[in-house]
Amino acid sequence: MQTKTVNNQKHQRSINNAFASHFAKSMFLAVSGLAILTFIGTRMFTHVDLNLYGYMVGTIIFLGGFFYRFISWGERPPTKLLIKKGMKLLFRKSTPKTTVNHLAVYEFIWNRGIYRWTQHILIGWGCILACLVTFPLVFGWMYFTMDDTGYYNIILMGMEIMTVPADGIIANLSYNALNITALMVIAGVSMALYRRIKNMQARAEQTILYDFLPLYMLLLISITGLALTFMNVFLHGVGQPIMSLIHQWSVIITLIYLPFGKLAHIPFRPLSIFARNYREHYAEQSMKKCNVCGNEFVSDEQSKDVVAVLGINQIEFQTKEGHHLAELCLPCRRKYRIAQFSGFPTHDVKVKEANQNAKG
Amino acid sequence: MKKRLYIELENCIGCRSCLAACTQCGGHEERNRNYVYDVNPLVNRQTMPLMCLHCVNPACARSCPAQAIQVHETGAVLSALVEKCIGCQNCTIACPYGIPKFDTEQNLMYKCDLCIDRTKDGIPPMCASVCPTNTLQWLTDEEIANRKKQFNMDNGKWISSMPYLEGETNVKVNLPGILQGITKLF
Repeated sequence: MQTKTVNNQKHQRSINNAFASHFAKSMFLAVSGLAILTFIGTRMFTHVDLNLYGYMVGTIIFLGGFFYRFISWGERPPTKLLIKKGMKLLFRKSTPKTTVNHLAVYEFIWNRGIYRWTQHILIGWGCILACLVTFPLVFGWMYFTMDDTGYYNIILMGMEIMTVPADGIIANLSYNALNITALMVIAGVSMALYRRIKNMQARAEQTILYDFLPLYMLLLISITGLALTFMNVFLHGVGQPIMSLIHQWSVIITLIYLPFGKLAHIPFRPLSIFARNYREHYAEQSMKKCNVCGNEFVSDEQSKDVVAVLGINQIEFQTKEGHHLAELCLPCRRKYRIAQFSGFPTHDVKVKEANQNAKG
Repeated sequence: MKKRLYIELENCIGCRSCLAACTQCGGHEERNRNYVYDVNPLVNRQTMPLMCLHCVNPACARSCPAQAIQVHETGAVLSALVEKCIGCQNCTIACPYGIPKFDTEQNLMYKCDLCIDRTKDGIPPMCASVCPTNTLQWLTDEEIANRKKQFNMDNGKWISSMPYLEGETNVKVNLPGILQGITKLF
């Protein structure tokens, strides 16, 4: 009770008091941040591409869904704990390596299969690169001007960083960046769809809404985007206005859907770095010894955290011998259960558990 | 008709067919997710299977920071969603039966999903469909109730739940009569 009052007093002086909720605070900060960046990037709103304003509105609606979903998710006891400790451990020496490994090259997906890794690299990096081009254009953080005929100035955050010939390599890469990423995404999505149609293991579990819908949405975005290029280059712009609306619609729908379906793993995957740091850091601190066999099996901290989290959920695994089941290593915990079934204390017999892995 | 996995522990002869069958289930990628233990390894040959019991209030899912462990509408507690599992291994520590397995290379937890592609359509899970001794069976609640009567075990020795388990489970377990010094009436 005492601590609660102290906490309340602390809250009263905090900036959080200015906002009705976490959601309101996050939304206010995000939209303000975007507005300020746009103000700077567009040289005081003098270079806004109003053709793209639909995406701007779509992004803000996306932010609403995103904060709604992730704030409620972050309130779950285990998530809250991991985020709190993960933030503290963010500046470990191994963090850059883990980050590249988990978020850029996806080594763990390589270990799940090279085909799956290839499709994920194509879709993942296709989307990341496309976002890196699209959002700066939408918010005016990047635009092009022409002073001398035949030369483009690339303006980034209001600063002129480069002047390139309009038919040069860099200029061509810029014009075609979204075409290239669209081809990457189409290739990746086609691989994913092929796997989902052919692979019996995938077929066993997949559902249309969860597994196929995001693939179809990405495909729709990429194809309508490429169609825009096709119409401009080969049809002299015939149908381009309609197609740009269809493209815009597909992007906005996907953005709104993103926090709620399979694609939600994109913004929340960085948590795997927190998890890795958490395990590495506390394993170095001290390891928990199994209460029965004495083998070290997890960090002390994690064992305590799991017991606490289960406690919050009103789950107590207290044994009559007086330890919590989370304090037993996995083989001992399994043997302990066999002991409950048979009445014979299997876990006290000092025999290593038999091989439990069948060859498939 | 809702069916459940029902385990008669004492029937187990340790053939490990359930382990082999588990590897062959769709989505299991040729790795088994269940266990068979010697009860008293230095003295006799009695074995018992240990499966995920699919808790009504699963500790693994409660302790998962990523919401990667989902509970299916049939009550089956599913394996971690591959795109969501962040590899913290909380579930392996939380599970009172030590069921979830963890693959460090793939940074992914995997556990019994009761062969959800089969059981959602009423087909028995792989382990139950191969068990030669009826240790693992796939029964309706009515059939399980009949077993309970038939075995005349209404003496607190029938363990479908507490105090032999940690909570209510969707898989029903029958305490072995022989090991308890009780003869079952077949």
